[in-house]
Amino acid sequence: MSENSRMDENDNDKKEVSQEKMFTLKKWNAVAMWSWDVECDTCAICRVQVMDACLRCQAESKKDFYGKQDCVVVWGECNHSFHYCCMSLWVKQNNRCPLCQQEWSIQRMGK
Amino acid sequence: MSTPARRRLMRDFKRLQEDPPTGVSGAPTDNNIMIWNAVIFGPHDTPFEDGTFKLTIEFTEEYPNKPPAVRFVSHMFHPNVYADGGICLDILQNRWSPTYDVSAILTSIQSLLSDPNPNSPANSMAAQLYKENRREYEKRVKACVEQSFID
Repeated sequence: MSENSRMDENDNDKKEVSQEKMFTLKKWNAVAMWSWDVECDTCAICRVQVMDACLRCQAESKKDFYGKQDCVVVWGECNHSFHYCCMSLWVKQNNRCPLCQQEWSIQRMGK
Repeated sequence: MSTPARRRLMRDFKRLQEDPPTGVSGAPTDNNIMIWNAVIFGPHDTPFEDGTFKLTIEFTEEYPNKPPAVRFVSHMFHPNVYADGGICLDILQNRWSPTYDVSAILTSIQSLLSDPNPNSPANSMAAQLYKENRREYEKRVKACVEQSFID
């Protein structure tokens, strides 16, 4: 048995050597795509990505203690997300989600 | 001076240029991004077809939390357009949402031309003719379509 299998291997080796290479891979560039794992990645009020600072904070270039822009994201019970700054101005006049018109209540806040 | 309202309007303009809705166009006036001129083309298969209706849109610094003032400059004969060109449209008043932009406003007004709401009339004559004498209504609308080529 063991001799047989060794013979098979030798056969295979011969085949590989005799076959000429069709091509060789000389260079390989990997491309990765990514996006934030949230339902709406753009704040529908100011139209800036929720993970970036909102238009108002960009204009005022507010910085927090660590020098980062202090502009957090807020998620409603309806799962729609906005900049907290944008949303807090809107709910003052109408406590509804601007996208689905449901009563607005905060599910969570943060980044 | 760049304020949040002005920055938002620049984004609205960019979006309007990159992804223009059919049958509407708009642009800020030369020296003031808070005042826009727009044109709505009368929708096909309606008496407004072929009309080029001009509008002005005036924004405040509270935009997009407050809607802009939108007015037809061209003379209109429509159940929901006042004699001064003012428009009776819920999304420009109590149903406003800060997620709307210029593109959404213009397409909403365009669809108001196709589907008037004669039950909340701004022009009672137009509303009455729309409900009771559609031929006469269409005749009056066609006249303002022709007027729109001139003014």
